[in-house]
Amino acid sequence: MNIQFSQEKLNNVSEIIKRYPQGKQKSALLPILHLAQDEFGGWLDTPVMDYVATLLQIEPIEVYEVASFYSMYNLKPVGKYLFEVCQTGPCMLNGSDQIIDYIQQKLNIGAGETTVDGLFTLKTVECLGACGYAPMMQLGKTYREHLTKEKVDAIVEECSNKTAINN
Amino acid sequence: MARKLLLDKVNVPGIRTYEVYRREGGYRSVEKALKMAPADIVEEVKKSGLRGRGGAGFPTGMKWSFLAKPEGVARYLVCNADESEPGTFKDRYLMEFLPHLLIEGMIVSSFALGSNNSYIYIRGEYAWITDILETAIAEARQNGFLGKNILGSGFDCEMYVQRGAGAYICGEETALIESLEGKRGNPRIKPPFPAIKGLWDCPTVVNNVETLAAVVPILNEGGEEYAKIGVGKSTGTKLISACGNINKPGIFEIDMTISVEEFIFSDEYCGGIPNGKRLKACIPGGSSVPILPANLLLTTAKGEKRLMNYESLSDGGFATGSMMGSGGFIVLDEDQCVVRNTMTLARFYHHESCGQCSPCREGTGWMERILKKIENGKGEMKDIDLLWDIQRKIEGNTICPLGDAAAWPIAAAIRHFRDEFEWHVLNPEKCLTENFGLRHYADPIHVPA
Repeated sequence: MNIQFSQEKLNNVSEIIKRYPQGKQKSALLPILHLAQDEFGGWLDTPVMDYVATLLQIEPIEVYEVASFYSMYNLKPVGKYLFEVCQTGPCMLNGSDQIIDYIQQKLNIGAGETTVDGLFTLKTVECLGACGYAPMMQLGKTYREHLTKEKVDAIVEECSNKTAINN
Repeated sequence: MARKLLLDKVNVPGIRTYEVYRREGGYRSVEKALKMAPADIVEEVKKSGLRGRGGAGFPTGMKWSFLAKPEGVARYLVCNADESEPGTFKDRYLMEFLPHLLIEGMIVSSFALGSNNSYIYIRGEYAWITDILETAIAEARQNGFLGKNILGSGFDCEMYVQRGAGAYICGEETALIESLEGKRGNPRIKPPFPAIKGLWDCPTVVNNVETLAAVVPILNEGGEEYAKIGVGKSTGTKLISACGNINKPGIFEIDMTISVEEFIFSDEYCGGIPNGKRLKACIPGGSSVPILPANLLLTTAKGEKRLMNYESLSDGGFATGSMMGSGGFIVLDEDQCVVRNTMTLARFYHHESCGQCSPCREGTGWMERILKKIENGKGEMKDIDLLWDIQRKIEGNTICPLGDAAAWPIAAAIRHFRDEFEWHVLNPEKCLTENFGLRHYADPIHVPA
């Protein structure tokens, strides 16, 4: 893969850097890692992190230590659709254990695994701030809340259909 | 019905847009503030008695007055929108539906503090809210409330949104500042406090979303009027995010005079517990605060009705009380297992420990593993004492309060529900399929249904 942002994305990068005082461009690291992850296949491979280091004129190690600290940065490839299901107290009180079991059974994968076709990854996560709408999961930029087995079925179908159309 | 100061307009169609928000009286406080001396605004906030709504409850006006003002050095206002305390989802609601209220509060606060650039640090998972805030900021800029020389006042005010990337610890203000500087979210040793040396070593104030939003009604009505609402040192209104086993989970704006019993059981608030179940326990202020059994939750040890405010919720200290915390109100019904609930919280804190301090880094992992062992019917009696011992050794021995936050829920669960832990040890088979229920109570009849 050619690791290089498009001109449009490079413009975004310069806009982001302008938010901080001169010389403090390292502050742009988190937002730019988000951009890079979205752009380069949903995870941060080492060459991608090195590229980000070059953009911000910082050492690669400064990028690695940040990328490995925050849970939203994936350091391994993930499926096209990442199901991040909350398992903390309030979600557990409302049946998240059963939802996680059901997804594992339905997709035939364990937590942290990806389906053979590379479509789905299941990740259990800690509180996402949707406790009143539990159980829930994050899918891309949005939250899917009040999950039931039927809703999980519908979400899996929705993702599979989207993929079929794109192919 | 309680008076609403923050959410009074939340149901007006289109209130998320500048046009409707302004038509409904939005941004008046900015016009008023720009005609005042900054020190007078700080004074109003002091008079209001507003306390930080993120969890610690520190007086906001006092925090503002600590801000150092060395000549020629920039000062920063940072909004803490890293809401991650399990049970808490109120800031999300405010930002999602009333983005301009936060922006308005931040402009007034920036002017009061002399901050020309402010940042909203929002948890990374709230990606769609980042878009909502950025749209609202652009609208405010187009209408002269942000940018250079706002409303011709000579005051420059810029505002940016920064997304985190999944780390509870970044809700701790110095970890947040580190993260905003593009580093790992490792809390700093204090002092120096951010008010002296914060973002990029400049004087910085970090305030929670709800705190900054509350500055708007304080300016509009005056600090003294605001302080008349509520009781004692619990002035104004508080957002409570209620969840767990209740009929109406969601966000409620309360004045802090109502009782806990009314809050749980009245239809105006949580609407009681589903399926006719009884109340077993409650974590009233976000996962870090002590869990209370139903009897101590509803009535203090002195026999008074417990109220939904800072003083009453903490009445009795940790022996018989809890804390207001962030207002994340988690209700457990009779079918819930306290051991399992505590285990999920221990797992949470273990996952979220930044790893700087050994007591927290190692201790949270030990606590999670021991609780898993007990929950899975493999526990021994000595494990309960070991858990108690570990939490004692974490509390107070770490750079930041995450260690305390991890210790308190476990201490309280053992303090009030030791019989349930022992039952797990004595019934290794049964505890896998059955729950302990309400056997804590000598007379469960009196635990409200």
